[in-house]
Amino acid sequence: MRQQKTWQTVLKRTAVIVAAVFAFFPIYWLISTSFKPFDEWANWPPIWLTDNPTLQNYRIVFFPDLAREFAAQQDGSLDYKVSGSAWNAFKGSAIVSVAATIISVAFGTLAAYSIVRFKTGGKNYPFQFLTVRMVPPIAVVVPMVVLFSILKLSDTYFGLILAYSAFTLPFSIWMIRSFIDDVPAELEGAAMIHGMGQFRAFLTVTLPLVKGGILSTALFIFILNWSEFLFALVLTAGNVVTVTLQVANYVSASSGKLYGVQAAMGTISTLPVIIFGYMIQRHIVRGLTFGAIKR
Amino acid sequence: MSGKSFGEDEPDMNRIPFNIRLVLPAQLTIMAIVVVPTVILLWLAHTDWQPTQNIPWFDAEFYWFWNFYDLWYDERFINSVFRTLFVVLVCIAAELFLALGLALLFLDEWPWRKVAVSIIILPMMIIPVDAANAFFMLFNERGPVNHLITVVTGDVFEFSWLSHPTWAMVPIMLAEIWQWTPLMFLLVLTGLMNLPENQIRAAIGLGASPARIFFRVMLPLLVPVISIAIVIRAIETFKIFDPVYILTRGQPGGATETISMYMYNGAFVYFRMGYIAAAALLVLFVVVSICLVLSKPLRKHG
Repeated sequence: MRQQKTWQTVLKRTAVIVAAVFAFFPIYWLISTSFKPFDEWANWPPIWLTDNPTLQNYRIVFFPDLAREFAAQQDGSLDYKVSGSAWNAFKGSAIVSVAATIISVAFGTLAAYSIVRFKTGGKNYPFQFLTVRMVPPIAVVVPMVVLFSILKLSDTYFGLILAYSAFTLPFSIWMIRSFIDDVPAELEGAAMIHGMGQFRAFLTVTLPLVKGGILSTALFIFILNWSEFLFALVLTAGNVVTVTLQVANYVSASSGKLYGVQAAMGTISTLPVIIFGYMIQRHIVRGLTFGAIKR
Repeated sequence: MSGKSFGEDEPDMNRIPFNIRLVLPAQLTIMAIVVVPTVILLWLAHTDWQPTQNIPWFDAEFYWFWNFYDLWYDERFINSVFRTLFVVLVCIAAELFLALGLALLFLDEWPWRKVAVSIIILPMMIIPVDAANAFFMLFNERGPVNHLITVVTGDVFEFSWLSHPTWAMVPIMLAEIWQWTPLMFLLVLTGLMNLPENQIRAAIGLGASPARIFFRVMLPLLVPVISIAIVIRAIETFKIFDPVYILTRGQPGGATETISMYMYNGAFVYFRMGYIAAAALLVLFVVVSICLVLSKPLRKHG
């Protein structure tokens, strides 16, 4: 009996290790490729762990002049679009993601408060926000391009911020709603007896209690914004660049040749998202299920 | 008199109830970005607008319902629809199966359990474009996947996955499954941890076998959580775009196009805006109707 138990445990742990290897391997490959010198990028057999680690790829990512020089040395034409520095992409992503996150969370908090405490619009009202999330964004992208060209918003920070805010609002509203839901309305009632207006009662009593929740929501929305690709691809034309666009540029530019550089860009662009992701690990399930499943 | 001009502004705002004013910013943002474009879409879908012809969108030739007629006979479009449904089906089935298996390994407390969970959920923390980027390298002719196959079989295997019309779907779906199994795993694990313990204890006390406990006690209790997970993942997978764009762009010859990729290529590579608007309208209509039905489990739970 005891023997059987040990065997089961060994089997279980082995399965966990196998799963962990599968989960980590693609990321390992991305990171290890980012440190390979260029003659090892497309070696056969592939090099699993380089003996000559270099920061060359990261230098090319941040200093495109180096990339141009490098491309000139290569025979054949490297159809590369690496003219923009990654700094530009990081700047663009930071501006757009931070601004859109602030707007989304601010508007989302107000709406969520209204929905929870006033039952605004009835029981079905919050669901119309969900439909925004259900529609494939590609379906509204064509008319959005038209609308943005009318409003002169194409390829501007403001345009992208607006688009990101709108498409993350359903998450903000539903997630913050689930946090406010956890705070009993009686607490606000008590404050109102002491002469506070309802909104002030919300600001001074409930808001501090859901502060952590709102911060998690903000980080979650930030991750979504930072990772967004389709809108960035369609609504910009070179003036505004995001990190996802930069990654895609390298992949397409290389047509399978600039492995090391695209791996370097991939590794650093995803770093902030990983850090924030682990910070809100507890709330990620709540976020991605619109607050339906709590932990 | 001056009081009246004041009064024109103020009561206007005050006539709107306080709670409505609170939802207004969110509602207006969504109206501007989702509802207005949908109205434009209604027009575009019935035109033959192609920006390359230098005709402004509002002057485009009215096409009645011919776009929809053409879509019905557009093999590439129909194929992309079935391909997308296939991807959704396969990915969700694989994710659910793997997630259930994984979650069962994490039921009891053991040292390093938290670390193991953190490693296993790493894929869902990655930017989807970067995940696709990693799979692009893994499945290259000279990538580690081909190397592994070479080592195992002994024959040199330099198959070009991403340019094969059928096999290119494998890396795309694997990237999707790899990235989102962790979410499914977390959902199922959360559900398992929240199960009422005394029912399982009772089953154990009655001498039920582990398999029987799993299928007869745990699984039925997990149904609400699993159905929410499936609905949410199905909606997200249906939109699949990033891995397709990075890995193949729908090539070769549209053989790996999902609906989103088909529409992107149609609108921004071939510039058939009116035609793609019709496809978009069709998808919008179908998706919203299905979602109204599918969101029932979410509603019940909420």
